[in-house]
Amino acid sequence: MVEAVSRTLSLILALLAFPSAAFGHRDDQYLQATLVVIEPSEIRLQINLTPGVAVAEQVLARIDRDRDGAISKHEAAAYAELLKRDLTARLDGRKLELKLAASELVSPAELRTGAGTIQMEFTAISGPLAAGAHRLTLENRHLTTMSVYLINAAQPRFATVQITRQKRNANQSACEIDFTYHPLRPKIAGSAGQRPSYR
Amino acid sequence: MNKMIASILLVLLSAGSNSFAQTNSTPGAPTAGIVAAAQKFLATLDDSQRGKVVFDFKDEAQRKRWSNLPTAIFKRQGMRMGDLTRPQRDAALAVLAASLSPQGYEKVLQIVEADEVLRKSGGQSIFGRDEYYLSFLGQPSTTEPWMIQFGGHHLGLNVTLAGEQRTLAPSHTGAQPAIYELEGKTVRPLGGETEKAFALLSSLNESQRKQAILGFQMRDLVLGPGRDGQTIQPEGVKGSVLTEKQREMLLDLAGEWTGILHEAVAKAKLDEMRKSIAETWFAWSGPIEKGSAAYFRIQGPTVIIEYAPQRLGGDATRHVHTIYRDPTNDYGIKWWKR
Repeated sequence: MVEAVSRTLSLILALLAFPSAAFGHRDDQYLQATLVVIEPSEIRLQINLTPGVAVAEQVLARIDRDRDGAISKHEAAAYAELLKRDLTARLDGRKLELKLAASELVSPAELRTGAGTIQMEFTAISGPLAAGAHRLTLENRHLTTMSVYLINAAQPRFATVQITRQKRNANQSACEIDFTYHPLRPKIAGSAGQRPSYR
Repeated sequence: MNKMIASILLVLLSAGSNSFAQTNSTPGAPTAGIVAAAQKFLATLDDSQRGKVVFDFKDEAQRKRWSNLPTAIFKRQGMRMGDLTRPQRDAALAVLAASLSPQGYEKVLQIVEADEVLRKSGGQSIFGRDEYYLSFLGQPSTTEPWMIQFGGHHLGLNVTLAGEQRTLAPSHTGAQPAIYELEGKTVRPLGGETEKAFALLSSLNESQRKQAILGFQMRDLVLGPGRDGQTIQPEGVKGSVLTEKQREMLLDLAGEWTGILHEAVAKAKLDEMRKSIAETWFAWSGPIEKGSAAYFRIQGPTVIIEYAPQRLGGDATRHVHTIYRDPTNDYGIKWWKR
């Protein structure tokens, strides 16, 4: 245990000492990658959050609120709530109520290495959808000063949903996804947009 | 690739006790040759070392244990190259040489050598030739499915074999520095990818280019390491509006990834891609001036390729991540998963 902690500390010190421009991954940015899964009955936002080593402490300060070096279920839920408040999803102009469906927070030690990824999944009831064209908009305002963003629509699992257009702002913190719903088409299951396996 | 540079690289890599060495194996051998090389490597190991190399074929944790990150940050399992004796290391490299095409093997050596350049320039022991790991999932076999993994910083090769069928998906290549000097010669491990992508972009007419270029920044791979099972909605210009010549250029570009494997396997993969070329998309984000740091993506029914320069405070053209996936057959699942 002591050896593991010592090794982690040594690694963190080595990483912090290494010039960021030369180092092999993003160490001063918080990567927030969102996959938007659109299904006839629900919208799912699968979000992977990876803080670089230089910003990991700032992110951890918002998660490990009692600073005991561990992330409790209560703290994980509170961080999910914090993130949720920074997300705005609308379907055809109507604000969607997001609910946390799944989450996995790695240990503070792993987060501090810059390799740890927090996974969160939020869902919102989308149906009953009317046949025809729809527009989903999503805005992510979470920790904007340190973050870089990716937002992508997942390839629909069902032929009844067809993505027709995606439009993002320059840094991908916001997007519009236009799609059509064809309820009479046979639902052919595909391989895309499946639920991630939370470890 | 300039043959003189390749020769210099291999000569340099074979020098010194801590170097990667040139092997005597025939690159791109059929499965029997790969199995023979793998068994020869295993025979050089003691029981303890063999236990580190061979995992159960059903070990999903090990199957997914690959990354772009340095080994000190993302812990691999398998046999660390730096812990092998020179004959063991030669035997390990012979497995790669047998599994890959000559150009694929050379690309891998160049990526590893780039990390050695990084180690020397930064004085950090978390980089370099020693920090690459080799492992097998399953026992080497000409009939049963098994897998070869070789990876470290900026490299995650996952070769799944099932009889004479082989796939490289999913695999990660990258380089930092993506351009370096070796004995006065310039080496660019991902140079072919870069040049062919710019050539394809410059061949597009105004209408095609307007469709291909995404109006937002792409700061990283979307479907990089750790994103197994995800598939995104394709974007960009569709193969159906490309000319025959442009389609061939697109396939030639994809060949920089598919061609890492043996020629016959690579040809079969490109033939598969050719059948659905009209449904294959090419997208671009970033500057269009030749040689600048730009992201691109190829996405079709059986392929996803991303190329993402890393803007981390330095010159993004010198630090690149790529990913190669097959949404229908990552890890060769259609050959063995019931």
